[in-house]
Order: sequence, then structure tokens, then C-alpha cells
Amino acid sequence: MCLCVHIWTSWVNGTLQMVPVDSETFYIYGMASFPSGHFCSRNWDGWLCWDDTPAGTSSAQFCPSYFIDFDPTEKATKYCGEKGQWFRHPDTNRTWSNYTACNANTKEKLKSVFILYYMAIVGHALSIASLLISLAIFFYFRSLSCQRITLHKNLFWSYVLNSAITLIYLIAVVNNPDLVGQNPVGCKVLHFFHMYMLGCNYFWMLCEGIYLHTLIVVAVFAEEQHLHWYYLLGWGFPLVPACIHAVARKQYFDDNCWMSVETNLLYVVHGPIMAALLVNLFFLLNIVRVLVTKLRDTHRAETNMYMKAVRATLILVPLLGIQFVIFPWRPENRLVGEVYDYFMHILMHYQGLLVATIFCFFNGEVQGTLKRQWMQYKTQWGQRRRDHCSMRSTSYTATSITEVPAFMYHHECNSEHLNGRNSEDSELVALKTGETYA
Amino acid sequence: MRKAEGAAVPRQVYIALLVACQCVCVLGCGPHYEYAMEEFCLARFKLDMLEVEQSHWCHWDETLEAYSELTNCTFLVALKMGCFWPNRLVDDFFIRVHRDYFHDCSLSGRMLKDPPNRILGPFIMVPVMVTLLMTALVVWRSKRSEGMV
Repeated sequence: MCLCVHIWTSWVNGTLQMVPVDSETFYIYGMASFPSGHFCSRNWDGWLCWDDTPAGTSSAQFCPSYFIDFDPTEKATKYCGEKGQWFRHPDTNRTWSNYTACNANTKEKLKSVFILYYMAIVGHALSIASLLISLAIFFYFRSLSCQRITLHKNLFWSYVLNSAITLIYLIAVVNNPDLVGQNPVGCKVLHFFHMYMLGCNYFWMLCEGIYLHTLIVVAVFAEEQHLHWYYLLGWGFPLVPACIHAVARKQYFDDNCWMSVETNLLYVVHGPIMAALLVNLFFLLNIVRVLVTKLRDTHRAETNMYMKAVRATLILVPLLGIQFVIFPWRPENRLVGEVYDYFMHILMHYQGLLVATIFCFFNGEVQGTLKRQWMQYKTQWGQRRRDHCSMRSTSYTATSITEVPAFMYHHECNSEHLNGRNSEDSELVALKTGETYA
Repeated sequence: MRKAEGAAVPRQVYIALLVACQCVCVLGCGPHYEYAMEEFCLARFKLDMLEVEQSHWCHWDETLEAYSELTNCTFLVALKMGCFWPNRLVDDFFIRVHRDYFHDCSLSGRMLKDPPNRILGPFIMVPVMVTLLMTALVVWRSKRSEGMV
């Protein structure tokens, strides 16, 4: 076992740089066992400690992080010759370790990192834009309002806030090594809120799943639920993992601005999130099971409607969750690793856009409402033009005709109020409109 | 004041060293090198460290200067004696210095490590359990609000 004293680094620009590597290790001769046969003896080359290496083999370890242009994921190597002597560089005839791989590809990697960085910023900006548009649609069209849409609104808000905080974090902290070096308390507070909003995102998804489960499996399309507990789970509970993470981080892994992702303490936040996603998936599969087996014959119309509602959530949950499953498994190969990076970044930073698209823009009901509104405007503009030709009398009847269908529409939310009262009517309407629900 | 004194002392030390080295140089990098290091470098370092409070010995900002001086001094002694620097004797010397002065310095943010599993485990499992409990609670409460238990 090779343990080294951390006293020196190289002579950098003619001055001695002192960089403690690991203050608790000591170079101890004769206490560890020596291997048999020819070997090169352990030594310190000024940057790294090299263990006893058998003759004729190469020893490799990760590059140190002392220098800005050294990549700690690359490997430095040192070759031990046949006779048990470390490799000597032909020019100087002194023992020499190969650190060339550490800064060989730094420029390309930096470029790639910047591309990913800008991709992340664009992703979050697009997410915020699409989510705000969706929220505007939900708030403007009162006819869409119901409990499920209320949950959607809260979900969208949590995504908007998450993207906003991530954007601030990316722009102010990640791209600013001076600030990270100064390590102000503010950036740790920002990180805390970042973890909190991340939790909120996934717990609101869980709320959606629980709501659908209660609605379909437990209460079978019964009346409105009290949403207080959902608000508690979605906004209040994520404080718990975020606080525990902050405490643990401060106590055990207090790096600058808590930026490092090399710590298992991140699982304090990611663990509950994964649990929430698994529970959500279980609930949704249970709903599908119930819808397909038990309710198909008795409540055909509503079954179709709810199947489509569940389908959207069922698509989203694995998509949101898969990043946590593959996050620890970055491939070693450089090309595959780059593909992995791009894939993960798209998955992580374009989520808001995905959620807004699936829950709002692809929602048939929303599309129907928007189409109606557009037709209404078109007719109104058409009428206004014809007004100039003084045909005022026709305008009133035209607008009232286009408005009426909006109130007659039974969409999935109002079916809660129906409660089996006008089952025939609802079935008729449902058959007409069934294909438009997402 | 201290800096001026500090600047004065090494010069005298190095002059004495030059004289001494003329005699011992020919004897090479054995125990004489060790003796030279102890006499000239360690003595100076001990004085420097006395000026820093013992509780502050682990504060790198306060001890860096003395430590640099010590390292520099061992290098110059090696140079004068025609020894290659660094070498095994220097290693042993610094191990002794570390054992005497820096043996109980904590990592304090330099090489960060995760806490041991017996601490990490509960930190992760407790939020997960609380999550599952909270979910069960919400499901139960929304069931009850329907009036269907």
C-alpha cells in the first residue's frame, strides 16, 4: 500500500507551489509488505504517489486536479521497466511519469462542455416559455377549470420556478469560478432552493398520480376531493429532503457552493424522488389495470376518457424518472460518453417543455378550446368587417351560435359532477368528443 | 518586525552552512545531511511555529510561510551537499515534522469524502421512509374525504 506525504508539487513558473493533497496520509517505509519478484519501488514524483509496480508493467491512476487544464477523469501512467527501474525520459535521463493525457484533449472537452451548458440554458428558457403559455391558457379559459387542471397548474408552477432557479444557478454560479472560490453563503442557499424545487416537481407528479388513483380506483368518478393534502405533499413535504440534504452537506461534504456531484449525499434528495416516481408508476399501472378489467363494461364512456388522461401521465413518469436510473452509469468510452452527456442534458433540461407539451398542447380538450376561440375570433373579425357594410343585425345571432357549444361540452372534468345522473347524454357527448381527449 | 528578523536569520544560517559544508560535503548524503537539516532548518521552523498558537497550527494560512521556509531550507542544504532533492532522508524528516506538528489536523474541506455508511445510510433511508409514509397518509386522507373508508 502506498501512502504519500503531500509536501510538494512541481516548481511552477519558478515558484514552489504548496498544495496539500491529502493531509492524513504518511509515507511509511517498511510497514506495508513488499511484493516478491522484480518491481519498481513506490515513490513520489512531485505530483502523485506511485505504488510498487511489477517489472514490465504500467501503473495508471487518475490525473490530479491541481492544475486548471488537467482533467481529473483522464489517467496518468508510469511505466516500470523489465529490470525494476522506473522509465527514464530519453532527453533528461530522469525518471518520468506520463501526464500528457491529462491536458491533451482539454480544448475539445471545454468546447463540448460549453455546448452542453448553452443547451441547458436554452432548454430551461424554452421550458419557462412553454409553461407560461400553458398557464396562460389554463387561467384564461375558465371553461377548462377543474381539479385536475388545478393540479396541472401547480405542477407547471413548480417547473417554472425550478427552471428559473436552475437558470440563475447556471448563469451566476456555474460559469463563475471566482464566485465559487469565494464560496458565499448565498450560493449554498441557492443550491438548497434548487434541491427543494426539484423535489416539488416530482412530488407534484406524484400528486397527479394519487389524484387520478383516488378518482378512478378508490372513489370511482365520485365528487370533488379536498386538495389540501395534495398541496401539503406537493409544496410542503419537499422541504424535508432538502433540509436534511443541507444539514448533511454542511456537516460532511461542505465543498464550495455544494457544487460537487461526486457525493452519495445527493441521494438524500434523489432517493425520495425515485421513491415518489416508483410509487407513482405503481399507482398508474394499478389505474390501468382497474380501468381495463373492472370498469370496461360498466362505465365504458368514462373509461375511455380516463384512459386517455392516464396515458399522458403514464408516458411522462418513466421519461422523468429514467434520468435517475442511468445517471450514475456514465460510459467510459469517450464517444459514447459524449452521446450520453447530450442525451442526459436533453432529458434533464427540457422536462418543462415536455410536461407542458404533453399535459397542455397535446391535450385534445385544450386544442378544442383553442380552436373554438380561434373560430370565434375569426367570425368576429369577419363580422366586424361586414359591419362596415351595415349588416349589424346578423352579428348577434352569429356570435351566440358559436358560443353555445362551449357551454354544452361535457369534458372530462365535468363528468365528475355528472355522477351518473345523465348517463345517456354523457355517453352520447362522450362518443362525439371521445377521440379528442388526450 | 518579524519578517526583518526572519530575513536576517537565514543569511547567517546559510553562511554557517557554507562553512560547515566545505567540511562535510565530501562525506555525502548520509547522517550528516540529516544533522544539517535538523540543526539549520528544523531549529528555525521550531522557532517559527512557537510564534503561532498551537491551536492554529492546522491553519494553513498561518503556517504556510514557515513550512515553505523549511522546504526551501532542506532544498538548499541538499544543493550545498551535492545531494539529489527530494530524497528518502527528506521524506523521513518531513514525516517527523508532520507527526510533531500536524498530526491532528482534520481534512476540513481539502479531500472531501462521504461519511461512513453507518451515517450515510440513515441519512438516505429516513427521507425515503418519510416519503412513503407521507404518500400513504395523503392517499388515506383523500380516501376519507370522499366519505369512503
